[in-house]
Amino acid sequence: MHVMATLTLQAGDVDRDKYDRSKRFGWFDRDAVRDAAVLVVGAGALGNETCKDLILSGFRNISLVDMDHVVLSNLNRCVFFSNGDAEQRRYKANVIAEKAARLDPDVQVEPYVQKIQELPDDFIARHDVVLGCLDNIETRLHLNAHAYYRGIPYIDGGTRGLVGKVQVVVPPDTSCLECGMNVTHHRVKDVRYSCTGDDVTVFEPKMASDVNTTSIISAVQVQETLKLVNGRRERLIENLFYYDANRNVADVMEVPLDPGCPHHQ
Amino acid sequence: MKITVKDAETGSTIDMDVEEDNTVEEVVESSANYWNKDPGAYVIRFGKKQLGGQTSIGGTTIQKGDVVELIPDPTGGR
Repeated sequence: MHVMATLTLQAGDVDRDKYDRSKRFGWFDRDAVRDAAVLVVGAGALGNETCKDLILSGFRNISLVDMDHVVLSNLNRCVFFSNGDAEQRRYKANVIAEKAARLDPDVQVEPYVQKIQELPDDFIARHDVVLGCLDNIETRLHLNAHAYYRGIPYIDGGTRGLVGKVQVVVPPDTSCLECGMNVTHHRVKDVRYSCTGDDVTVFEPKMASDVNTTSIISAVQVQETLKLVNGRRERLIENLFYYDANRNVADVMEVPLDPGCPHHQ
Repeated sequence: MKITVKDAETGSTIDMDVEEDNTVEEVVESSANYWNKDPGAYVIRFGKKQLGGQTSIGGTTIQKGDVVELIPDPTGGR
């Protein structure tokens, strides 16, 4: 007897799967992305864009740490914030956690309205990857040190006007943030290059900041996160992506490992 | 030996005498001071590398006549 298997195609099937276009990359592992525990530190301009991109990319387990509140001057670059949030001085992490559900009701964004330094020692270790969306060097160094020590990849984003960067740190193989630093970093280590104005350790004029440069830097951070979670480490940036929106040019630079760096002793 | 430092933000250049035992961060400091740069973090880029501050010039591949770039290290993001 000849048995023939039949397959009935349904017109429109390809548009019924939310992640159909992601799966078409071939390497996209929906379960790995959904189950990955991602820590985002900073809920400002970079934090907004990064959370948006993480959620749309399929991440469902996000911890978000930020102790600041929304102000009107955030609204030129922060997709989750509104006038009402600024008027009510709502905490940024809480606003993003609440509005994330509008992008996807299944996402869990756990807000922590405090400094990362105040969280328990094992907090960072509960995550598979850490994303820095910060405005100061001191907290970057904290994340860099703790993530490197725990063997957790750290993807640091930064902007300064129309210039931005993403550094990918994967212990124990790559250099870390501290390897590329010098005395100018340590001189401004405690300064917050903030948009808000509150809580600054030392007063500094506010920096220019726009959504376009921010979007590009956040997108690169999330793209690197997808590579990590999907086992594509050979495609990671080595080690630093540098973007200049003045001329719309980008480049990748090596940051050599410094054998004198305390994290590589 | 004499090298050239270029300010990536303005395109200005300055010649600088460096010794093998000078560090990269001495080049950063000297050039940032010369151009009276805004407070903030800066690094030296040489080709496709961002050089660490504690690295000596002798520990790099920088040669007489080479051009290195002073670039801002973006540390904002909120």
